[in-house]
Amino acid sequence: MAVSSKNTGFWFVAPAVSLMFLLLIAPVLVAAFLSFTDYSLGNQGFSWVGLENYIKMFSRSTYSKMISASVTYVLLVVPLSIGLGLGAALLINSVRHFGDFYKTIYFLPVMAALLAMAIVWEFTLHPTIGLVNETLADGCGAWTETVFSFGWIPGIDGGQSWYSKGCQDSFPLWFGDKSYSMGTVAFIGIWQAFGFNMVLYLAGLTSVPRELYQAAEMDGAYRAWDRFRLVTWPMLGPTTVFVVTITTIRSFQVFDTVEAITHGGPSKSTYVMMYAIYEKGIQQNLMGIGSAITLVFLVFVLLLTLVQRYFVERKVHYA
Amino acid sequence: MMGQTAPMREAAKHAILILGALIVIIPFYVMVSYSLKSPREIESNTGGFFGAQAPMVDEYCVKVGNPKEDCLETPVIFNYSQAIKKAPLFRYLLNGVIVTASIFLLQVLIALPCAYALSKLRFWGREFVFSLVMFCLLIPVHAIALPIYIMLAKIGLTNTYASLVIPWTISVFGIFLMRQFFMTVPDDLIDAARMDGMSEFSIVWKVMLPTAIPALLAFAIFSVVAHWNDYFWPRIVITGDRDLYTPPLGLREFQGDADGSMWGPMMATATIIVTPLLVVFMLAQRRFIEGITLTGMK
Repeated sequence: MAVSSKNTGFWFVAPAVSLMFLLLIAPVLVAAFLSFTDYSLGNQGFSWVGLENYIKMFSRSTYSKMISASVTYVLLVVPLSIGLGLGAALLINSVRHFGDFYKTIYFLPVMAALLAMAIVWEFTLHPTIGLVNETLADGCGAWTETVFSFGWIPGIDGGQSWYSKGCQDSFPLWFGDKSYSMGTVAFIGIWQAFGFNMVLYLAGLTSVPRELYQAAEMDGAYRAWDRFRLVTWPMLGPTTVFVVTITTIRSFQVFDTVEAITHGGPSKSTYVMMYAIYEKGIQQNLMGIGSAITLVFLVFVLLLTLVQRYFVERKVHYA
Repeated sequence: MMGQTAPMREAAKHAILILGALIVIIPFYVMVSYSLKSPREIESNTGGFFGAQAPMVDEYCVKVGNPKEDCLETPVIFNYSQAIKKAPLFRYLLNGVIVTASIFLLQVLIALPCAYALSKLRFWGREFVFSLVMFCLLIPVHAIALPIYIMLAKIGLTNTYASLVIPWTISVFGIFLMRQFFMTVPDDLIDAARMDGMSEFSIVWKVMLPTAIPALLAFAIFSVVAHWNDYFWPRIVITGDRDLYTPPLGLREFQGDADGSMWGPMMATATIIVTPLLVVFMLAQRRFIEGITLTGMK
């Protein structure tokens, strides 16, 4: 290799390295520093408050609600969007026709601006004139109520079902009702994310060798479920580890739907961490507490990635 | 036995897949349909997908003092013309193009030489730089928005194009992706270029760049989709100046002012913002999906 490359290498990485320090490393340090202060933008100075911001975070109910909102969201979105993504991938992989068509449709939400789609979902789920509640109300008293109140199943009182009660009383407010709000916001998250996971699983499926299925069948795995359990699922191990990590990190970062629709409410039921950082830091100019939330957030992400690396090294690889 | 169950099973699979497709499509259906209908049709949920397109009265036009007959308009024309008139929508779209294009170009400009050096040059500190890249991959830029915002505010850059672009100029992910790709490029190719007297600088742009087009295209898709659709960052650094709004920010402001009668125009705005990427995606589907999976698989 040419001697001159010593310096060339240095100059080639210099811009990237300086920007990494300036835009990634320094901000983390700044956040860590500010999390021990009561800094506000525009104030001349600031004072040290020690661990006060962190103590607040672990004692005030607002912040415990914040953590539980973020964790609930992640626990809803990650398993469901991965389950649906995997299910869709397996079905699409096994049908003879139109596989590409379904793939395109399921991938649309990944491409569409989440903010725009959040606003559309807000209309669609509007309590009185939204398409969903209108459709539900139109079905009342008709065959749909009979079917979906499940009264035709022996032992179930149709009059007490969710659907019949909705018909008598009213259908949910979705975003306005704190027992539905988180579920509804998470639903949008799942709707948006599962197509992405599906595509990753489809890519994973193409790398499963055909012979393994034949071998499994010869060894007595006649049922589809057995072949899935013995071949497909283990072979998809690396994909799954990756999909779980990326979906979790992305779900922790949910912001658009919350900011556009619920503003963290009702009664903090959707007060997720990114929204808390925005509200405390940007809107209320409380940079100290905002930075403390940032740090807790970064620790979450770091832990997740370490768990992922651990699994990858434990050889989820069977290939 | 197989012969009998297979068609049934196939039909059941399609039934599930179609049901899923219908649920996925709902908001797109609502968005486009509402953008075509009059406020009355939206509120009463009538008119089917396209609406009756009966001429409707533009209330605002009447309020300004025009006679009613001059204020009649077809709902679809009303909605889309309001979307353009109420807010400088084309300006927003242009901003979106400027910002996403600048981000992508700067990312490539900074990442490509670095990726080349990390994969093909030997120099002091290379291992350190690579570990730095691996470490920085752990930091989500959205999460450190507050300190970056403070830094930008301190040097007076909020409410500028620069504030929308600067935080994204360094893509450690781009560096990593391009490095992985460059590792597969044979050294002979570079040595031959050196024999021909090419400088390292021109090797990056004239030899490595052309070979890296597939990876670069994947990265472009990844970057453009992320930044065209990004709402969080513009929301933070652009506070007052409408001229700097990106498309999602413009739509959000629209939502803020809109009363019930403006739903149609708002959905028209949403349709205009969402359509470009969806159309490009439909045209180059395979590339998009490959791009997203390639960039996803790290």
